[in-house]
Amino acid sequence: MKEVYSNFMRSLLSGKFTISGEVDPPRDANRAAVEEQVRHLKEHVVAANVTDNPIGDVIMNTLAPCVIMQELGLEAIYQATCRDRNRIALQSDIIGAAALGIKNVLALTGDHPKMGNHPQAKPVFDLDSVLLTRVLRRLREGENMAGEKLEHPPRIHIGVGLSPGVEPLEPEIIKLEKKVEAGAEFAQTQCIYDEKVLERLSEETAHLDIPILPGIAPLRSVGMAKFMLANVPGISIPEELMKKLENSSNLTETAIDIAAELIAAVKDYGFPGVHLMPVGMDAHVGEMIARSGVR
Amino acid sequence: MIITRQKPMEEILEMLSPYRGVALVGCGGCVAFYRTGGAKQTREMAEKLREAGVSVVALGMANRQCYLCEESEVAGLSDAERIRKVARELEGFAQLEKAEAVLSLACGVGVQNLANILDIPVLPAQNTLFMGRRRVEGDFDLEQCLGCGDCILAFTGGICPIARCAKSLMNGPCGGVFNGMCEVSKSRVSEHPVPCAWIEIYRKLKKQGRVQELRKIRPPKDFTRAAHMRKVAWGVQK
Repeated sequence: MKEVYSNFMRSLLSGKFTISGEVDPPRDANRAAVEEQVRHLKEHVVAANVTDNPIGDVIMNTLAPCVIMQELGLEAIYQATCRDRNRIALQSDIIGAAALGIKNVLALTGDHPKMGNHPQAKPVFDLDSVLLTRVLRRLREGENMAGEKLEHPPRIHIGVGLSPGVEPLEPEIIKLEKKVEAGAEFAQTQCIYDEKVLERLSEETAHLDIPILPGIAPLRSVGMAKFMLANVPGISIPEELMKKLENSSNLTETAIDIAAELIAAVKDYGFPGVHLMPVGMDAHVGEMIARSGVR
Repeated sequence: MIITRQKPMEEILEMLSPYRGVALVGCGGCVAFYRTGGAKQTREMAEKLREAGVSVVALGMANRQCYLCEESEVAGLSDAERIRKVARELEGFAQLEKAEAVLSLACGVGVQNLANILDIPVLPAQNTLFMGRRRVEGDFDLEQCLGCGDCILAFTGGICPIARCAKSLMNGPCGGVFNGMCEVSKSRVSEHPVPCAWIEIYRKLKKQGRVQELRKIRPPKDFTRAAHMRKVAWGVQK
């Protein structure tokens, strides 16, 4: 019998439709900003990811919000990227996070510093997401990369990312297969707005024994939709969604409706859960889930 | 080859400003092939410097500044004699003693080799960028090798992800593939759009019927082979 350390993994294994959320750390030392997001999410999701300086902008680190969240009763999924830390720092951080009670880690490659507000920074990428996944499993099994035994290994579950809208898709699927082989126990995806992408994802990953949680984020405006299309790889937004936004008299309501429909579609395609990224609409997450009818 | 770009004239003039007489030494290697530091560019540099009021006392060409001579071969010689020994087509032969500094138009390797055998300062006219090749179509130079010390080209279809993936990934593309292009090369601080190396690798391996190469988990890079201050003994594989 597989050992289970986290509520999130327990929920996935139970077969219940599992919803994870996401907390965006603030730019400054504002603890209240974390607490507010947690307050909105807590009743609606099993656990929430904390991002690791997305696009390489400097914001609060991952660990602090994870610890704050867990103090408030919301389980954390710690996102670890290879952008800023070599194999020494990555292992050390995960061991420390586990000592502070972190039970889920999402292993990501991370955005290149050139994408963010410190483009002059030296990119690290000592490991990649496949290798980080394998290192996390080895740590959990009681050994670090130098082969030294750990008497108290980090008891963590290991997740990975997936970008289901990229073209060609085959190399991305091959990489997911490698992540599963390396020890991945769950996957969360980049934002999906197109049911065709969901359908294809479901077909192309049917052979893999790993729960995949498609990523859903509300579309807040036509401007946001156009920005995503132009700047985020692998995003497609159907014409009909664009029309809904264009003709909307209440963008908040429309955004909730669109998210709810996508969440419902995720369940219809047979995925075991959904990863909800509120992108500032934390107060409406409960409504998105309620309208989707998945519970 | 070694890809270089000449430094801006203002920077070169600033570097040379403390010295009353300057000798120029070009190189017949990569910088000649890529027209940044060959005979013609060395003469052009001399003209530009003279127009700016710099006293260029001599100019010449080393066959290859990445190989000049053994230190023992120039022991006991003056700097002027050493320059005569390694530079051909020397103009201003008699004036050479007046040179207080040398401006080298070679890459960083050449500059250091020349500096190693001369007592007077040797200054770089180039910024040395990378090992790569010229692409005439599209008019750009492309980085191809990082000298990582552990070549993996056998399983990557002859396309190096260490040099050509922005993140030097070992196990396939990241999520930053934008219509086959690397999103990093689209960022506001990048000069050129560059294809995703891993998508190129995937296409090449697919064409060769070797996609299974992508399915193997490749181990973390061993950076003991790539750490700086490398020195390799002859006949030793390390």
